[in-house]
Amino acid sequence: MPTISLQRDDLEALIAGPDGTPVRIPLDQLEQSLMLVKGELKGHNAETGELRIELQDSNRPDLWCCEGIARQIRIKQRGAAISYPFFKKQKRVAGKLVVAPGLDRIRPYVAACTAIGYRVTASGLTQLIQTQEKLADIFGRKRRTVSIGLYRLAPIVFPVSYDLVRPDEVRFTPLGMETVMTLSEILMVHPKGVEYGGILSGHDQLPVLRDAKGQVLSFPPIINSREIGEVQVGDHELFVEVTGTDLHMVALTLNIFAANLADRGAVITPVEIQSPAKTAFGRRWNTPVDFGAPRTIPLKAIEGALGEALGSKEVTTALKSYGYTVKSAGPKVAVQLPPYRNDLLHTVDVVEDVAISQGYARFAPVMPSQFTVGGLSRLEQMADRVRHLMVGMEFQEIISNIMGSHQDFCAKMRVDGTEWAKVVEVDNVMSLSYSCLRQWITPSLLQVETNSSRAFYPHRMFEVGEVAIPDVSADIGSRTVTKLGAVIAHAGAHFSEIHSCLDLLLYYLDRPFTLESVPHPSFLEGRAGAIVVGGRVIGLLGELHPEVLEQWQIGVPAVALELEVDRLFDEG
Amino acid sequence: MSEEGQTAPPFMDNLHPLESKVLLALVPPQSAPPTLDQLASSTGLEPSQLSMAVEWLLAKSLIAVHAETTAYIASLTATGEVFFDQAAPIERVLSAAREAGQTGRRLTIQDIQSKEQLEPSDVSKAVGTLKKEGAILIVQGGCIESTGRNSATAEAMRALLQALRDGQRDLETFAEPLRSVLQQHAVKRGNAREPFRVDERVTRSFVLTDAGRNVAERLSRDGVAEEVSQLTPELLKEGAWRTKQFRKYTISLRAPRIAAGKRHPYREFLDLVKLKLVSMGFQEMRGTLVETEFWNMDALFMPQFHPARDIHDVYFVKNPTHARAIAEPYLTNVTQVHEKGTGASSTGWRYQFDVERAKRLVLRSQGTAVSARRLAANPSVPGKYFSIARCFRYDQVDATHATDFFQVEGIVLGADINFRTLLGLLNLFAREVAQAKEVKFLPAYFPFTEPSVEMHVRHPKLGWMELGGAGLFRPEVTTPLGVSVPVIAWGLGLDRMAMVALGIHDIRDLFSADLEFIRTMRGSF
Repeated sequence: MPTISLQRDDLEALIAGPDGTPVRIPLDQLEQSLMLVKGELKGHNAETGELRIELQDSNRPDLWCCEGIARQIRIKQRGAAISYPFFKKQKRVAGKLVVAPGLDRIRPYVAACTAIGYRVTASGLTQLIQTQEKLADIFGRKRRTVSIGLYRLAPIVFPVSYDLVRPDEVRFTPLGMETVMTLSEILMVHPKGVEYGGILSGHDQLPVLRDAKGQVLSFPPIINSREIGEVQVGDHELFVEVTGTDLHMVALTLNIFAANLADRGAVITPVEIQSPAKTAFGRRWNTPVDFGAPRTIPLKAIEGALGEALGSKEVTTALKSYGYTVKSAGPKVAVQLPPYRNDLLHTVDVVEDVAISQGYARFAPVMPSQFTVGGLSRLEQMADRVRHLMVGMEFQEIISNIMGSHQDFCAKMRVDGTEWAKVVEVDNVMSLSYSCLRQWITPSLLQVETNSSRAFYPHRMFEVGEVAIPDVSADIGSRTVTKLGAVIAHAGAHFSEIHSCLDLLLYYLDRPFTLESVPHPSFLEGRAGAIVVGGRVIGLLGELHPEVLEQWQIGVPAVALELEVDRLFDEG
Repeated sequence: MSEEGQTAPPFMDNLHPLESKVLLALVPPQSAPPTLDQLASSTGLEPSQLSMAVEWLLAKSLIAVHAETTAYIASLTATGEVFFDQAAPIERVLSAAREAGQTGRRLTIQDIQSKEQLEPSDVSKAVGTLKKEGAILIVQGGCIESTGRNSATAEAMRALLQALRDGQRDLETFAEPLRSVLQQHAVKRGNAREPFRVDERVTRSFVLTDAGRNVAERLSRDGVAEEVSQLTPELLKEGAWRTKQFRKYTISLRAPRIAAGKRHPYREFLDLVKLKLVSMGFQEMRGTLVETEFWNMDALFMPQFHPARDIHDVYFVKNPTHARAIAEPYLTNVTQVHEKGTGASSTGWRYQFDVERAKRLVLRSQGTAVSARRLAANPSVPGKYFSIARCFRYDQVDATHATDFFQVEGIVLGADINFRTLLGLLNLFAREVAQAKEVKFLPAYFPFTEPSVEMHVRHPKLGWMELGGAGLFRPEVTTPLGVSVPVIAWGLGLDRMAMVALGIHDIRDLFSADLEFIRTMRGSF
């Protein structure tokens, strides 16, 4: 999840709050406090005061910024939630934002507010932009579900309209360009148009935000107008807007921005959204909007999950000092999340917040007491027996990667185009060296042989490991099979050597076998055998074909054995 | 020291027969201390045996080097053989220039290169020498003309090729200017394409030391006892060993290397982990390398829009792309819990679940998929399970990322499972698996557990390190799979511990393809 960069001074000032005096927080103490936000301090530059913090929780986008981290710490210090007046129902709005019909097919939802009185500083602007990017990129899935626009408020005349237009109908100068362009030009030429244009593909009409005078604010989710949509250091009247495909995510994102700007001293005034159709919020509503609902939880559910009889008082304190609104009544607690959060899916989410608020050290570990019997699977037991026998026959065990190349598993083994070349292949290949799963072990061992001509001979090695065999009869199109592979390589390597090993192995496992000659391209003709146990072929062995050895650049003769460990069980 | 003394001189007892031979050869008075060649003829030993015996005797200070002389021996290289047959580049350039002079054709350096198929550097070297000697001229347009004069170098070259064709010779036997031409065209570092080579040959002569003379004279007086080196079945059978003397070995020498049959050290480590888990009452689970997104992610309540489900984190299977079906009632249950939280007292993720997406086949990206399957297969309650599962991540391979790797993970089911017993279990892991006495628990995030914990332990060698992550499965995971008791999900990150135990620093070395490295790697655990 995101790693953000912030200034230590800025963080300390925000933790102190508008009325407090910032204090230097030692880094070890800061690391402790970061447990409240599941954050990890990744770096600190003493010269510039930069802190790099990784945030783990993908359901808490409110924490992916300096303001959010500071807020969670400040709430813990003061022991109670911070109240933001603009989330309460109020009559006064900064203006209206009218949504045109038809947007439901493309990007239906919008939320907006104004923020006045915070004079944007250079570091504040950096933070605003970072938050905008992290939210749109990760929470908004690269702007697909949510994107955010920041504007200078002064030139905007309400009501603002969120319209659908034809691509060549509207033109404006986008950020980063000098000239007026149509929407289709932006999609073709502007870097952001190229990067994010895919979100709008297939639509013959495109979304645009304009004010009452027809000035373009932006072309969401692509780019802002250069005239209105370029916030600069020193600006102190802002307009914030969020568009997207999910009503609640759009509302939450604006709530986070509003809280952040309020924390920096801005006065937030809502904007009234007018929708052409009824939504979960109705036809008209003000944003920011507190859409959370109280949830009543039995105290027992929290105590049971934590294994600790905390009592309603401690639970209430814990949740209040984590930002919740809490009402406790006997055996139940009614809780409500602050409006900048929307991650309460289940009681267990509250349970964790109680534990985090109190600190995990508050809970004394207790050993689970119920008796269980341990054991290995039948397959693992068989695999271990095979491994021990191979070690006894003086083989060195190898562990290889299961992912590799078609070249190694098939082409170099001379089996291309035969039934032995069926492998599970990867669709999104990153590198040709890792494009499929091995279907047998022998190539893994030959890889070792290739690299080991200078290790003294003889070489005897084996691996018991998993392979994937394509199988149309399986639900998932392949079977995972545990195989034994063994290779002997030295100047006098001979069929009988590996044959003796097989003979001894299957003697001790009490699996009588016969060998049937098999024309396998990896082996010399007439020197390869299929291993038959109980009428079923369970493997093969033979002298590797000189061409195979050449392909692998191996300079000594080698013999190989390959066996399905899954099929060594007694059928009875 | 008296020769009549009761104690044998040092080394007397464990002389190798070869050593005795050399010592005896040095006893008779000689005109000059013998060289290795002379010793070879007087002892009749093979060169390899002789030099072995001489080195042993030198090491025991029974003989000493009397004098060391260095000779320089010139011989023909393989290139020289070719030059002898086909003429050296300088000869060919000269004759080409003469031939062109007779026919009146213009001849450039490029012409010579292509016609004679010579290396550009050979041609330019030859042209340079010939020009200096006045045998050719370079005229306008880079053309070469013969002056008709002879080249001393070309002639010397021919004489040397001829002389060395018959066998190697001491460099001293060549007079100037032959000697300097030879040296100029001898193989040096970085230039193997020369016709001659000059090898340094060191000749040493040897004398007995005082101790050696003592031993040697005693040997020649007493004769060399009949020694045997190897006890044989025949000697045992006939009892003949009673009359034999067994040569004593110098047992301080290093033993010859042998290769053992043995487990891979990383597997040994994993076997130990396996043993620990089984001894703590865990049952092993196994899964498949290819999984559906359903079991790999959906059943774990990771929403289909979750960022970690992107194409850049998981390997997708090419063919078939989708599983035929997902078992019911799990598909319906999981669909509903994602969409509305149905059955799990949850709000769900509130989006439309895509059943086709659930069938998409991927390479298993987390061992928790194995646990999810286990939950749906009527697990024991109480129950403890583990798997050591190979997983695949869409990462660039480097010192800390392998293409596939083992994940050690599992579940614990039981009515007594809660946050505190979760911490208790992790304490047990810290003690049993990492031998750690100090443990720290940090809040963590996993999509499928709540509360979630990260466990840090103080490792005896590494200091504080993350040992694993765990949590209580969300009811949105357990309820749709038919499990009604609380379940711990845990995972241990053991690769760093394994690397410390095996003394390696690159995760790729856990899967090394270097036999010598694997043979010599050993673990300390």
